[in-house]
Amino acid sequence: MSEALLEVRDLSVDYLLDKGSFQAVRNVSFDIRKGELFGLAGESGCGKSTIAFAITRLSKPPAWVTGGEILLEGRDLLKLSETELQKVRWRHVGMVFQSAMNSLNPLMRVEAQFHDVLHRHLGSTRAQSRVRAEEMFKLVGIPVVRLDDYPHQFSGGMRQRIVIAICLALKPRLIIMDEPTTALDVVVQREILEQVIDLQRDQGFSVLFITHDLHLMAQLCHRIGIMLKGELVEVGDVKQISRAPLHDYTRKLWSAIPQLPASAHRMGAVE
Amino acid sequence: MRLSPRRLAVYCVAFLFAILVNFAVPRLMPGSPVDSMIAQLGPRATPAAIEAIRARFGAIEKPVLEQFVDYVVGLAHFDLGVSVKYYPQTVTEVLGRALGWTAFLVVTAIVFSLCIGVSLGAIAAWRRGGRFDTIITPFSVVMIAVPPVIIALATLFFFGVTLRLLPVGYAYDPNLDPGLNFTFFGSVFLHAVMPVLTLSPYLIGEFQTTMRSSMISVLGEDYVTMGRAKGLTETAVMFSYAARNAMLPVMTNVALMLGAVFGGSIVTEIVFNYPGLGLTLYTASVARDYPMIQGQLLLMTLATLGANLLVDIIYGIVDPRVRESAA
Amino acid sequence: MSSSFTLFWRQKKALAGLVIILSLCLMALFAPLIAPGDPSARVGRSHQAPTVEHYFGTTKMGRDVYSQFVWGARPSLAVGFATGLAITALGTVVGLVAGYFGGRTDATLDLLTNAVLVIPNIPLLILLASFAGTVGPWAIMAIIALTSWPWGARMTRSQTLALRNREFIVAARMVGEPGWRIIFVEILPNLAPLIGINIVGSIIYAIVAQTTLEYLGFGDPLSVTWGTMLYNAQNSSAIILRAWWDIGAPAAGIALTGLGLALINFTFDEIANPQLRSGPALSRWLRLNRLRRRELGAAQ
Repeated sequence: MSEALLEVRDLSVDYLLDKGSFQAVRNVSFDIRKGELFGLAGESGCGKSTIAFAITRLSKPPAWVTGGEILLEGRDLLKLSETELQKVRWRHVGMVFQSAMNSLNPLMRVEAQFHDVLHRHLGSTRAQSRVRAEEMFKLVGIPVVRLDDYPHQFSGGMRQRIVIAICLALKPRLIIMDEPTTALDVVVQREILEQVIDLQRDQGFSVLFITHDLHLMAQLCHRIGIMLKGELVEVGDVKQISRAPLHDYTRKLWSAIPQLPASAHRMGAVE
Repeated sequence: MRLSPRRLAVYCVAFLFAILVNFAVPRLMPGSPVDSMIAQLGPRATPAAIEAIRARFGAIEKPVLEQFVDYVVGLAHFDLGVSVKYYPQTVTEVLGRALGWTAFLVVTAIVFSLCIGVSLGAIAAWRRGGRFDTIITPFSVVMIAVPPVIIALATLFFFGVTLRLLPVGYAYDPNLDPGLNFTFFGSVFLHAVMPVLTLSPYLIGEFQTTMRSSMISVLGEDYVTMGRAKGLTETAVMFSYAARNAMLPVMTNVALMLGAVFGGSIVTEIVFNYPGLGLTLYTASVARDYPMIQGQLLLMTLATLGANLLVDIIYGIVDPRVRESAA
Repeated sequence: MSSSFTLFWRQKKALAGLVIILSLCLMALFAPLIAPGDPSARVGRSHQAPTVEHYFGTTKMGRDVYSQFVWGARPSLAVGFATGLAITALGTVVGLVAGYFGGRTDATLDLLTNAVLVIPNIPLLILLASFAGTVGPWAIMAIIALTSWPWGARMTRSQTLALRNREFIVAARMVGEPGWRIIFVEILPNLAPLIGINIVGSIIYAIVAQTTLEYLGFGDPLSVTWGTMLYNAQNSSAIILRAWWDIGAPAAGIALTGLGLALINFTFDEIANPQLRSGPALSRWLRLNRLRRRELGAAQ
């Protein structure tokens, strides 16, 4: 059994309101092992995205981390100073956001958006960054010549792939994907996810995969956590979660997915 | 603002409008500007000059349309008429000299205020709610509301008269001969300090406010979050990701404010006796030198339009998304 | 709408601004009581410094500056406010019509708006004023209003366009509500914060323009306004003669008015632009964030 890469312990996040606050995430604990695809599922508003942002302290108002620990290979990310945290970000923990439409700086060429992060963490020169960027583009299947283009010149699916490429450029140990394909059409969604799976098998990074699409998650992840109203109600192996869910809510989530009669037997089988 | 046929149409209409106003107003207003001008000229007036004034201002028996065509044709030849006060110099001559000084003042003031205002706005937005923001931002709003007249007079009084720190008038020391030497430039610089400082508070306030609002919007965008997620330094994210994008609306703002800047420069020049277009306009209006006043309006309109055009072009260069749509 | 009111009162800045403006207005209103007599009467020696007899000193012609200040507030404020309202009314109407009716009406009005916007105001004002001879305050109002409406028209138009495509408006149109009713009952109330900013901004601009024109000598020299006070002071070389009270009083009046209006405007801006609003929740978040950053930074 591989050891834990990320250990989340008793994480609590509040939403600050004009008067008082609202507990969006309540004492959530889970582990992500090395090389593992961990899924976090739940309906809208259950707190899964909040957790994603909290891990590298990117929480935006009104989200406020009130307690807990987030240990990345033993180091508590919540206690690091801003400068130290910056060194961890992207280098060890990458993020792919929900709508890549807006994730790229509209005024910078794509190549520059590789260079700034490579230079920051590795001290790369322009030339070195270019080489690496070309490698990554080949990896995600985009023609290398397009490195000189601006983000608005790409389609939505391609932009998402660019973000993934930039994400992998530093070979991080963990990639957090927050609804990475929800905004895309199904065909593109499939392509991108298959690419991610391939890359993951190749390079061995862990993935925290967040989505409300339980069926999709069941096809991809090794382990799944189910969230309901800020609490983690069940965590387990994908086979166990799909065939023998322990919690009421998990069962409800599964039954909410319309099933073809034939596949009712093979419910949740991993392909 | 994007450079497009539509924008150009706007500029053309504006210019046409200015020409029309120049043409129509003297013919519609009560009183007789022609007579007063001829009276002013007195013994210096040659019959040809009197005829020219009559023709220019409509005191002749020609159909209005023909008069208008004559006027426009004259404009195309840069014929703005002959000054009444500075007779026999033409309007073009007098304005040509003054234009340089006003351009110097206005450009210096805008560049100076832009640098300061944008920086203040960016920092205020980045450290929103902190001490800097709570002090600077309301202060900027107030600066916009105080008329340049007041600031000019106050500055003149404190720095010029009471403290005697800075020279009280004109563009350079009258004892110096203009030339490409250090002394001359130094003198020009000293004489420009108070006028530029007078024009600046309004502009700095305006730029600070706009930049702050724009920056606050931009800070909520995904690409800024991604910039931070990339582990880049705070300064890098603030500059390359946030401020760069936030500057775009500010540039549009510069274009819109040019009219106001010209207005402010007029009063500033008058208070500090600065030999620019504003002072010329003032002396012309006091002397009822109508050809000069008209020429001023056209020139200032043209200058504003030109500056607007320049901003449009710069915007097109800076924002790659616009380049595409124009192509 | 009521939430906007509570927001307003909670903001101390707006209250301060309102207090300033109301004080000035009251002062102007009670002029006969607090500064009895004719402000144009010569009552003292030339250019006397402030004394108990003449609180703000005297002008070159021996007139009481305090009296002039109090009485001068009337036309300065009245014309300023009236002009501001006129500018806003014009701009709002043009913007509404252009935004709501769209099509060719919009194209024409938009073109007109942008064209007038580009022409520099003050030179145009000076041109009109010099051809018209010396003009009373109401003529000044007309001239200023006719040249400054485009600002408000642009803002109103874009806001109207945005509102027009919102569901509730589309629904109203489909149900068959008449155009004018939609404009007045549905759209106009939503434009309220914008119109608020417009009014205050226009008043500020009107006062600046009015003062400038009068300072340049285009006002009626016989009337007593803050602008003409500046004009007279300038002509009697008050600055060179160190008669600071002569210029200082009207300048202070104008600056105070600007200050008060700016404070009010600041709040209107926050109401209209929710993003700019630092509500209690956001303020708390920002404060906690600053504290935490300081703690963590110091830890290493």
